[in-house]
Amino acid sequence: MQWHLDLYRRLLAVQLRSQLQYRASFTLDAIPSALVSAVEFAAPMLVLQRFGNNIGGWTLVELALLYGMIDVAYALTDLFFGGFDPDYFAPMVQRGTLDQLLLRPTNITLQILGSEFRLRRFGRIAQGGIILVVALALVGVRWTPAKIIYLPIVLLGQVAFFGSLFIIGSTTTFWTVQRVEIINVFTSGGRVAMYYPMHIYTKWVRRIFTIVPVIFLNYYPALYLLDKSDPLNMPALAPFLAPVVGFGLLAAALGFWKFGLRHYASTGT
Amino acid sequence: MNSSIITVSNLNKHFKVRKHHRGRMAGLRNFFTHEYRLVRAVDGVSFQIAPGELVGYIGPNGAGKSTTLKMLTGLLVPTSGEMHVDGRVPWKERQAHVAGLGAVFGQRTTLWWDLPVIESLDLLQHIYKIPEARFRQNLDEFREILELDPFLDTPVRSLSLGQRMRADICAALLHDPKLLFLDEPTIGLDVVAKERIRQFILHINRERDTTVILTTHDLSDVEKLCERVLIIDHGKLLFDGTLEALRERFNGRRELVVDFAEAYESVGIDGAQVVAWDGKHATYQFERKTITASELIGRLSARYQIHDLEVREPEIEATVRRIYEERLLES
Repeated sequence: MQWHLDLYRRLLAVQLRSQLQYRASFTLDAIPSALVSAVEFAAPMLVLQRFGNNIGGWTLVELALLYGMIDVAYALTDLFFGGFDPDYFAPMVQRGTLDQLLLRPTNITLQILGSEFRLRRFGRIAQGGIILVVALALVGVRWTPAKIIYLPIVLLGQVAFFGSLFIIGSTTTFWTVQRVEIINVFTSGGRVAMYYPMHIYTKWVRRIFTIVPVIFLNYYPALYLLDKSDPLNMPALAPFLAPVVGFGLLAAALGFWKFGLRHYASTGT
Repeated sequence: MNSSIITVSNLNKHFKVRKHHRGRMAGLRNFFTHEYRLVRAVDGVSFQIAPGELVGYIGPNGAGKSTTLKMLTGLLVPTSGEMHVDGRVPWKERQAHVAGLGAVFGQRTTLWWDLPVIESLDLLQHIYKIPEARFRQNLDEFREILELDPFLDTPVRSLSLGQRMRADICAALLHDPKLLFLDEPTIGLDVVAKERIRQFILHINRERDTTVILTTHDLSDVEKLCERVLIIDHGKLLFDGTLEALRERFNGRRELVVDFAEAYESVGIDGAQVVAWDGKHATYQFERKTITASELIGRLSARYQIHDLEVREPEIEATVRRIYEERLLES
């Protein structure tokens, strides 16, 4: 375990070092990616102003909280699960890079997690982080020790959720060779859906989000942080399901990944 | 056989490949039908390799070389058959298996693209858990023989193909593997670079007793390195034996080129055929089975004044080409 952590640290360190050699390119990459997400954030907010500054009774800063949590979590996923980003992983299988990793006597999952660590994603993390912090400050959360522990756990659960989707998306390329677009319905679609309070959606849409349990990942944690009452009358446990959903899906995704690797070993490319 | 480091018996790897329709509505038919064709990439292959051997595994494109190599390195699980490499079944214990082998797949690199060579090697030291003293010792030796020093601090992406190959071969051997798999190690290299790689492979094989299996298109690799060749085509093992045996069996005719001291009216001799003759020079062909080179030379020098002579072995390339083209081994 110690050894594996050490290897992981080394794999990330060498990438940081080689990327820092190109400081100009880092800044040029980081600034646009922060700008893109700033625009993504600003556009709906501007529309909102036309509608009396609220959606489903939630104010602009409350919505910014929903947005900020997801944005930080997604940017962290992009950073730490970059090797499993299907756009990165699919060519890795096609070019035989995966075989090269399998020829090394160490854990394959760890090697993939340590194979793509892009500094420029810090731009987006910072941008999402600022929105989150400002929203938390303006929205007037009544902080308790429980909430202070609660927030990072929820964020971890969200990272695990998005990371799982990356892993599932990459694993499917063992069968399809090309990256499959459908997985984006969940990653991008799920992400955008979670920007908004779930009670604004119609019943059947909400039901889908309960079965694909994104409703617990962001909406219920926000309700809990803001001390809002639950308009949907879910069990009182609902706000605490985010890590269960996130890490539960992660366990399933890793199982699928192991299965995919076995399939890969029996077919190759 | 306990003395073998590799035992392969009746190995099969079959793939199902989607059939692709052609012609009218082909796209639509491809979309809706799923017909498969069975490809026997490796078909009933058996062989054994003893520790310290240097074996050439050759065959035309798509013959099954890479598929065999992928199974030997544990990347691919066979459809059926048995395989033991250094006492292990490769695909059942991937990590333990790959820890004891080095592999270089010609067109790919195991090194980190953006890192200086030396940093990649340092990372590999950690991954393979190579003791510091051993690592230093090996690195110093390889640096000298492979002349790595000029580009040790250069990022891999800036290396020439030859430099990259040298760095990759060094990387594959730092952990003292018992086995070395080389897939097209000289592909795309110039003559000097090829020769340097070959010398190094020989050095490793002789000094360290490393068992080496190499696949190649370049038969001069085989000629210069391997005592034993395995020939595979259409998934089947066609030949397993020494280069000598291969020559004898399929192209036994050797040539003797003679420069005479004076011009003779006729230069015929028992046991050999004159295939070219102009004035003082003649070329004879003879069968290894009927006459030895020294016997033939003895007969010639009894009759004629010989100035100079040369015995030519049939070229392996021509031999192998004949085997593929004429399917000499299929029966």
